[in-house]
Amino acid sequence: MNRLFTLSRRAVLGAAIAGLAATAAQPVMAQDALEKLMEKGEVRIAIGNEPPYTELKSDGTVTGAAPDVARAVFKKLGIDKLDPVVSEYGAMIPGLQAGRFDAVTAGLFMKPQRCNAVAYSEPVLCDAEAFLVKEGNPKKLTTFKSIAESSDATIGAPGGGTEERLALEAGVPRSRVIVVPDTQSGLTMLQQGRIDVYSLPVLSINSLAKKAGGGVEVVAPVEDSPIACDGAAFRKDQTDLRDAFDKALAELKESGEFAKLIEPYGFSAKAAMKTSREKLCSASAE
Amino acid sequence: MDWDWQFVWQILPTLAEGAKITIIATLLGYVLAVVLGLLLAIMRRSHNGFVSKPTAGFVEFVRGTPLLVQLYFLFYILPEAGITLAPLVAGVIGLGLHYATYTSEVYRAGIDNVPRGQWEAAKACNFTTRQTWRHIVLPQAIMPVIPALANYLIAMFKETPLLSAITVLELMNQARSIANYNYRYVEPITLVGVFFLVISLISVVGVKYLERRFGAYGKRGRAAS
Repeated sequence: MNRLFTLSRRAVLGAAIAGLAATAAQPVMAQDALEKLMEKGEVRIAIGNEPPYTELKSDGTVTGAAPDVARAVFKKLGIDKLDPVVSEYGAMIPGLQAGRFDAVTAGLFMKPQRCNAVAYSEPVLCDAEAFLVKEGNPKKLTTFKSIAESSDATIGAPGGGTEERLALEAGVPRSRVIVVPDTQSGLTMLQQGRIDVYSLPVLSINSLAKKAGGGVEVVAPVEDSPIACDGAAFRKDQTDLRDAFDKALAELKESGEFAKLIEPYGFSAKAAMKTSREKLCSASAE
Repeated sequence: MDWDWQFVWQILPTLAEGAKITIIATLLGYVLAVVLGLLLAIMRRSHNGFVSKPTAGFVEFVRGTPLLVQLYFLFYILPEAGITLAPLVAGVIGLGLHYATYTSEVYRAGIDNVPRGQWEAAKACNFTTRQTWRHIVLPQAIMPVIPALANYLIAMFKETPLLSAITVLELMNQARSIANYNYRYVEPITLVGVFFLVISLISVVGVKYLERRFGAYGKRGRAAS
C-alpha cells in the first residue's frame, strides 16, 4: 500500500514535470499559436488596470476599451474567453516574451523600440499625454521640458510606461522620475505632495481626476508629447496570430462595431483608423 | 538565454547608484535597529508595568506583521496624520523598527544570560540601577550576542529590495527600471543577485570572525563565573 502510494506520487510528479516542459516548449512552436489558443478556448491577456484602457472589476471581470476590442476580435477567431493578467507596463513585453501571456492589450503605445521587440496589431486606441497636478498648478508645470527645467519638480509615471520614457528623454533626471506602481498610488502620492505631477494618457488622467473629487487639476494635452496609439502586442515569432487578429480587427473597424466599442470610453475610432502600424512604428521617438 | 556583456557594462553605473542607496539604507537601518533594540530590551525589563507591558506589546505587534505592510503604513498612511516622510527615510525607519524588535530579543537572551548574582553583587556594592546596567550587566550581555546581532545585519541587507515598493531607488528598483526600459531581465536581475551574494558571503566571513572573537568571550565569561 505504502509502496503503491509512493509510486503514484512519483507518477504525478513525472506528469507535472512533463506538463512544465510542454509549457516551456510552447513559444518554439509558433506557427500554430492560434490553433493552440482555439483548442484551449481562452487567451491570456496582460492588462494594466488603468481605466478607461483596462479595468479589472472587483468581481474579477475585465472591462476597458482595450480588452473589449480584444474580446470582440478573439470571438471572431473562435476564442470566447479572456484570462486577464494584471501586470506592470514595464513587465509586459518581457512577460510576453517569456510566455506568461499570449497578448498585451493594455494601451501599450507603439514606439519604435517596442515595435522592435514585439509584433503589434494595427492601431486600436489613440490618446495624447496629460498631467495631473495639484489645484492651481503651483509649480506651473505644463510640459515634460518644464519639469526638466525646474530645479526640484518630480514626476510620477508608471514604470516602463511611455510617460517615464518621455520624461527621461526631456532631460528630467532619473532621481526626479518616480516610478508609481498603480493609479491609486499615483493619486495618493500627488495629494500627499510626494510628486508634483502624475502623468498618464489624457483619458486615464480624466478618469482619475473624476475619482479624486477635487484638489487636483488636469493639464491636457501636454504640448511636447506626440499623440500615440496602442495595438495588441504579440510575440515577435507569432506574426500569424497577429495577422489573424489584424484581419478580424479590420472587419470590426469596417462594420462600425469598433467605434461602438471604444467611443463610449472616450476614444476616437477615426484617430485609430487614420493611422497605421507602419507609420507609428517608424515615427521617430520625439 | 543570451548574455550580453556590452549591456552589462552599459548598466553597471546605474546599478552602482542603486547599490549605494541599498548600502546606505542597510547601514542607517541597522544603526537604528541596534540602538533601538537595546532600548526596547531594557524597557521590557523595567519593573514599571506601564513601561514594560506596552514595550512587550509593541515588540510582539511589530514582529507579528510583515515588513512590507509596515512600509506601506509608513509611506501611505502616516501622511494622513500629517507626517510625510521621504521614501528613503520611511524605508530606513521601517527597516530599523522591524529589526529593532528582533535585536531586542537577542539582547534579551544576552541579558538573561548574566547570572542573577551579578545584580545582587551590584546592589551590595551600592550601584544604582543605571550604573549596574552600564558597568556590569550590558558589557557581559552584549559581547556574546555580537555574532547574533551581525546575522541580523545580513538578514536586513537582503530585505532592502522591499524598499522598492515605496519608490526608493535602491538596487532592485534600478534593476527593474533598466529591465522595463530595455525589455531585458537577465542581466540586471542576475547582477543584483550577484551583488547580494558577494556582499553576503563577505559578511558571513565577518560574522565567523566575530563568533571566534566574541563567542569565546561568552564562554570565558561563563567559565569564570
